[in-house]
Amino acid sequence: MTSIATFAGSSVGKKVFVAVTGLMLFGFVVVHLLGNLTLLIPDGGKAFNEYAHFLESLLHGWLIIAFEVCLVAMFLVHAIFAITVALVDKQKARPQKYSLVRAAGGKSHKTLASRSMILTGPVILIFVVLHVKMFKFADHPLVTYHGTEMKDLYSVVVDAFKTPWIAIAYMVVMALLGTHLWHGVWSAFQSLGWNSDRHVTFLTRLSVVAGVVLGVGFLGLPPYVYFFAATGGH
Amino acid sequence: MSTTKVLDARIPGGPLAAKWDRHAMDNPLVAPANRRKFTVIVVGTGLAGGGAAATLGELGFNVLNVCIQDTPRRAHSVAAQGGINAAKNYQNDGDSIERLFYDTIKGGDYRSREANVYRLAQLSTAIIDQCVAMGVPFAREYGGTLANRSFGGVQVSRTFYARGQTGQQLLLGVYSALSRQVKAGTVTMIPRQEMLDLVVDGGRAVGIVCRDLVTGELKRYAGDAVVLATGGYSPVYFLSTNAVNCNTTAIWRSFRRGAFFANPCYTQIHPTAIPQAGDYQSKLTLMSESLRNDGRVWVPKQPGDKRRPSDIPESERDYYLERRYPAFGNLVPRDIAARAAKVECDAGKGVGNTGFAVYLDFADAIKRLGRDVVADRYGNLFDMYEEITADDPYHTPMRIYPAPHYTMGGLWVDYNLMSTIPGLFVAGEANFSDHGANRLGASALMQGLADGYFVVPRVVASYLAGAGKAKTKTESDAFAAVERDVQTRYERLLAIRGGKTVREYWWDLGRVMWDKVGMARSRPNLEEAITRIRALREEYWQNVRVPGGARDLNKHLEMAGRVADFLELGELIARDALMREESCGGHFREEHQTPEGEARRDDENFAFVSAWEYAGENQPAAMHKERLVFENVELKTRSYK
Amino acid sequence: MAETTSGKSIHLRIWRQKRGEQKGRFENYTVKNVLDEMSFLEVLDLLNEDLARQGQEPVEFDSDCREGICGTCGLVIKGVAHGPGSGCTTCEIRMRPFRDGETVTVEPFRAGPFPVIKDLVVDRTPFDRIQQAGGFVAANVGSAPDGNAVPIPKEDADKAMDAASCIGCGACVAACPNGSASLFVSAKIAQLARLPQGEPERKRRAWAMVNQMDAEGFGDCSNHGECEAVCPKAISIENIAVMRREYLKAFIGGSD
Repeated sequence: MTSIATFAGSSVGKKVFVAVTGLMLFGFVVVHLLGNLTLLIPDGGKAFNEYAHFLESLLHGWLIIAFEVCLVAMFLVHAIFAITVALVDKQKARPQKYSLVRAAGGKSHKTLASRSMILTGPVILIFVVLHVKMFKFADHPLVTYHGTEMKDLYSVVVDAFKTPWIAIAYMVVMALLGTHLWHGVWSAFQSLGWNSDRHVTFLTRLSVVAGVVLGVGFLGLPPYVYFFAATGGH
Repeated sequence: MSTTKVLDARIPGGPLAAKWDRHAMDNPLVAPANRRKFTVIVVGTGLAGGGAAATLGELGFNVLNVCIQDTPRRAHSVAAQGGINAAKNYQNDGDSIERLFYDTIKGGDYRSREANVYRLAQLSTAIIDQCVAMGVPFAREYGGTLANRSFGGVQVSRTFYARGQTGQQLLLGVYSALSRQVKAGTVTMIPRQEMLDLVVDGGRAVGIVCRDLVTGELKRYAGDAVVLATGGYSPVYFLSTNAVNCNTTAIWRSFRRGAFFANPCYTQIHPTAIPQAGDYQSKLTLMSESLRNDGRVWVPKQPGDKRRPSDIPESERDYYLERRYPAFGNLVPRDIAARAAKVECDAGKGVGNTGFAVYLDFADAIKRLGRDVVADRYGNLFDMYEEITADDPYHTPMRIYPAPHYTMGGLWVDYNLMSTIPGLFVAGEANFSDHGANRLGASALMQGLADGYFVVPRVVASYLAGAGKAKTKTESDAFAAVERDVQTRYERLLAIRGGKTVREYWWDLGRVMWDKVGMARSRPNLEEAITRIRALREEYWQNVRVPGGARDLNKHLEMAGRVADFLELGELIARDALMREESCGGHFREEHQTPEGEARRDDENFAFVSAWEYAGENQPAAMHKERLVFENVELKTRSYK
Repeated sequence: MAETTSGKSIHLRIWRQKRGEQKGRFENYTVKNVLDEMSFLEVLDLLNEDLARQGQEPVEFDSDCREGICGTCGLVIKGVAHGPGSGCTTCEIRMRPFRDGETVTVEPFRAGPFPVIKDLVVDRTPFDRIQQAGGFVAANVGSAPDGNAVPIPKEDADKAMDAASCIGCGACVAACPNGSASLFVSAKIAQLARLPQGEPERKRRAWAMVNQMDAEGFGDCSNHGECEAVCPKAISIENIAVMRREYLKAFIGGSD
């Protein structure tokens, strides 16, 4: 008889959890980038701040809390199962290491991206914690548009990106996020069984495009802000 | 000992087509509830052994299945490439059970037993059905029906195949059935163990002694019947297309315990193997007979022509098979194709650096069918060829030469596949029964599965119903004595610590066998072979060097035991060849040929099975005869012209 | 023989391990007169002949058919399962691409579920147990309908054959950074999932075989695809996708 415990503990099940949460997080990142593109509007941060305020005020702020709880859960599930796969089970399955390993080449999908998932993942996680701390759990200046007072998150962004080390660190992390998606997106489809010889080329290309577009998309923000945005939104 | 009494083939009465059914009615059965009380030991997990073990398990018998490989899925049946015959007549080209029977008898040069061959032809169709039901992915037509190809020696398309990996797919079918029985608890699988001797007690086979190839421990297994399905003995030639661990030990040790050895000189030299390149070589690689469906065999007309094949114009090529045998052309039976290649090479027309090769050319097939169709049919063989020779067969003809491949001879069995030792059954290539003096292509897989799935389960059951349980326990003196023999022999081998390796002796033996007891044999050569093999054997037991010890995994020790047996068997093959003053099938005596160089059979004096009885250490074995009676086919000179 | 040179010298750095439970180490050997046409295993044969003559213990390694079909052999040569220049088994590797004087590292297939028995010989019996868990169609001998009773589209038969060509060598496990057996297990599941004969036991089979694979201690598949690259029969990782679908279906639909 099948059981959820067996499924979740199985090699297939673990990857299904990683894949499902991974794809959801991927969706979140896409939406997040689209939202951040409002930074590019040269209006002194009005669009960006209003967008943030709009999100925070939905259902009197409850929706975003619910959403954040889900995000945390997804991160946790993604991380726990991924760590089990890439560290715990891997160690058990090969206690004695090879003295020499070379890439087989040919049809292999093994890349720097696929091998570094377990490193790029935690870096992104640390970044997310700091990122949330900066934008959610800190005292923010306020700004008023059309009589509505709201947080001036735009100035937080600009202040941060005008600080060279933060801008550079941010860009590095976004490059790693791109790398993570480079392998992660197609891998999720494969993990869910949505792959075949006919589709594998499409999926792996889609994955690379997703990695590059999102990586470069986020990565472009700091230089833009650094060079083009006025200091302080007000 | 009265020859006629001992060699009663126990063929059921009645018309040929009704014998097997009649056999079922005339023989006792074991009731389902009683079957698990009987233990059957099966040695080997190929098509015959694995098939028998799985099927006996399905029936409810308690089965012990031993193999030398690390898993049953690696038995040498796995390497068969081309296909499996069955008289399905799916192609509507005039095939029938009668025709398959006739082709097999004729292909075997009228040296096989009619009743056995007919049963084989009858069972062939059920084999295909069974394999399909088990999920064997045979090649299919676009309409979804099973596809067929043609093979040598026949004029119908009756060969079923799974790319160039038919043996593998059939074996994996057997392996899956076996796996199912292991899970069900009816079959106990004992891998990495080698049967080293047979235990006979109270006039019946009651068990075996094995060596655990990992720990070196000797193990005793008791059973109510023993089935040997341990394959053939081609590696007596050292270089053959067989796997490097194929050996004669199980059947040879049983021969020494009283089982008769039949027709040892009927060995098959396969016409299309990749030629030998050097002395270092460990094996020869077969190129499937199916290649002769589309490939054309030729040599340059001029001896010593060293031009590249592409530089030799059509008019200066000799397509000698098409010339000599217009009716069958490139698809003549194996023995004929192999010998024809030897004739051309001996005349100096051989190609390649050694001069021991002929061309197998696909240029016409590629022109006619296109590269894709050819690749679809033979792609994996072409790749394998290119890997080994660094030549691309799509552009330059393959070079091929005959190689030892299969042995029609084996332990003598009656219609029930039982040897001269009651309770000892022999199936598949290990027995002698179905192929006479030459086996047709794609018939080995057919025989293996016929024996394994259908014949052995029935005949063993009826034996057990009659004979009852064996009383001998593994703690008995009978087992202890046999174990002592095995132990002593290995201790002796290890203690010699001489100057030559096991492999060097094996190589020497192979050289004698190939040169003197190979494709063409003669009295002086055979006599010389016997002398040389005896000398080699004597030297072996004084000067062989076996490294390592007996108490753990030691493949050189395994090899040492096997080569010691080959050194005895080689002599028996030569003696049998010397006795048989005729040419038939794979056995060609230079003294007995027509002016055109075709084989000349002597039905008057040699229409019998020679069955040899062990007569003691270094004593020539004693021969018994089983007369072959042909009631249903007329003995004719084989003609493929 | 083609261009008879005196041959190359090859330095071999080989893993030696007396017994499974003892510690192993690398030993260095040199084999001279290595010809291009030789197979890699024939070079090891040559080495072993030398060792045997000197009364030393030969290097134990598994091999049988020596034509790439039985799946017995399997070494990690120069860091690649079955050796560099993928697409064949260890026994099919020829010496052409090796340089004169080159040092070649030779290790056994390494995986927790494949313990070393001696030197380069490993125990792959977990594969048998996975097969026993459900890698079969339960069709007793004697019960089969006519072979043409159920037509099977050629594409399905071909795909099933692609998967069925697995030789069970274990290179997929050896090459997988995670030590996963997914390619091996999926090949059997996918073969039978594509044939009508396998249908009735389809869910039960996927469920049981995957769970047995996990119980044996193999790692999880991270979709690196090294397995397909080293597979001597070029078995595609699309079979792994099929296996996951089958397993999901079994989970959602109930395997019984």
